[in-house]
Amino acid sequence: MRLEVLNPQAATIEQTVKAAHRPSDLQGKRIGLYWNLKAGGDHALTRAAELLTERLPGVTFKRYWGEVGSLFRMATASDVERIAAECDAVIGTTSD
Amino acid sequence: MVEMERAGLPTVSFTAAGFVKDARRSAQAFGLTALPIAVVPLPLTNQTPEEVRRAVDGCIDQVIQGLTESPATIVEAPAAGPAAERLTIEGADTLDALDRMNGLFLERGWSDAFPLVPPTPDRVERMLGGTRRARDEVVAVLEPGFGVGTVEKIAINAVMAGCRPEHLPVLLAAVEAVADPRFLLRIAAMSTGPHAPLILVNGPIVRQLGINSGRCALGPGAPSFPNVVIGRALRLVYMNVGQAYPGLMDMDTIGSANKFSLCAAENEEANPWEPFHVEKGFDRDQSTVTVQTVYGQTDVLDFANTTPERILQTVVSAATNIAIGSTGRWLEGHWADPRTKVTVRDHGLVMLCPEHAAIIAKHGWSKADIRRFLYENARMPFRLLRWTKEPSTLIAGRPDLQWLLQHPDLELPIFEVPDCFEIAVVGGPAGRSMYFYGAHEPVTKPIER
Repeated sequence: MRLEVLNPQAATIEQTVKAAHRPSDLQGKRIGLYWNLKAGGDHALTRAAELLTERLPGVTFKRYWGEVGSLFRMATASDVERIAAECDAVIGTTSD
Repeated sequence: MVEMERAGLPTVSFTAAGFVKDARRSAQAFGLTALPIAVVPLPLTNQTPEEVRRAVDGCIDQVIQGLTESPATIVEAPAAGPAAERLTIEGADTLDALDRMNGLFLERGWSDAFPLVPPTPDRVERMLGGTRRARDEVVAVLEPGFGVGTVEKIAINAVMAGCRPEHLPVLLAAVEAVADPRFLLRIAAMSTGPHAPLILVNGPIVRQLGINSGRCALGPGAPSFPNVVIGRALRLVYMNVGQAYPGLMDMDTIGSANKFSLCAAENEEANPWEPFHVEKGFDRDQSTVTVQTVYGQTDVLDFANTTPERILQTVVSAATNIAIGSTGRWLEGHWADPRTKVTVRDHGLVMLCPEHAAIIAKHGWSKADIRRFLYENARMPFRLLRWTKEPSTLIAGRPDLQWLLQHPDLELPIFEVPDCFEIAVVGGPAGRSMYFYGAHEPVTKPIER
């Protein structure tokens, strides 16, 4: 017995984004601390900033959260534009 | 974070070990599988600040590495194996071939784990006869996986769910509803919460298709056959079109039986007010489908009371539940799609049984009166409204409301405005209504054949 069936899985729209160029080190860099407002994320970013400050002279930090959302926030295009203008790199939390 | 990379910003994101697969697949959907992550052992939620600090101490090297080394050298893209559009299954006999097909579909993750009807070319062709729409028409692109939902792919999933051709237009409209920016499908499909799509059908099609609006409307059983298979088909579409596969992009902590199928029609004959879809701006003779994401529901048993106030107080008791994510969430701001900035409030759904509806209407109450009563009475002290939420999120997200932290006993409504209470009349005799804890906003779409 041969049963022929159709594949139920849809094609997906494939997107390709090139990763940003990385600096060889973070000394003196401006780092954005992006929190999506999920609980605990603020503590993680605070600790990350403390540890990086100990290791990397001249590094500075600025905090952000998304413009839209409720109990967790998402970044809009204008958020991304602003962060890109003000920072050299971003640490984000939390992707669960 | 992918958009930040696109803008030229190196990024790294804290991710719990149990969510790495999800993070990779999500990043892939947005175009950058190799998005750098720093893996912490557990989610950062439900941890003390000290525990979070220790988790970060353990992965700070990954943070530096993520920001300074090319991601391609760190991460490999997961293997992707596109399957053929037609599959041939060999079996000793028909039943054996059917078993093997179900085994194969389980193996590939295409099944909801109940036995499926085989989507043979003939059956799919018959299913396509249920709509005038072209088989290659794209009904919607569904998140989280950006799957292209053509009429044919949706029809294949409808066959698998057990739908008949006449059910297809309802399913197509439901797919359009969940793809609407107001529905926030990406959040609903990927969350750690038990978000399930509740389908409500209105209009002449209810009678034409025999969609159950009365006793046992939500199933199971023969009286609810169309309800069950339409609801099931939408779940399969979430998975096979939207790629909301459990454990991969659907990160539900425990899961929910609601996710298998949740569909009812409104009992318009027993509704003393205007039908649900008319409230949403449609003509009474227009058939519609509404989809609302729900976390869950509770029975609202009230055999005793005979006044609107007392019956609705029972609903208030059900609605004021601090364990539900949408309770008081309006204080943090509105949900929104970051691309469209369409803002959305959380809504709850009261499914009034005909007896409760009749008692309330008999006293001259309108739906607006019901909403006003619920809004004014479904309240709790600020400290309880935010029982599961940290003060820091309010301070960061709504600095204009920080003053509330000094007034923990101030009574506040669970929803921002009365219209956040949706009302539909569903069910058979007996005084048992149902309250659905909703997330986001219901979306209603016309059913076109």
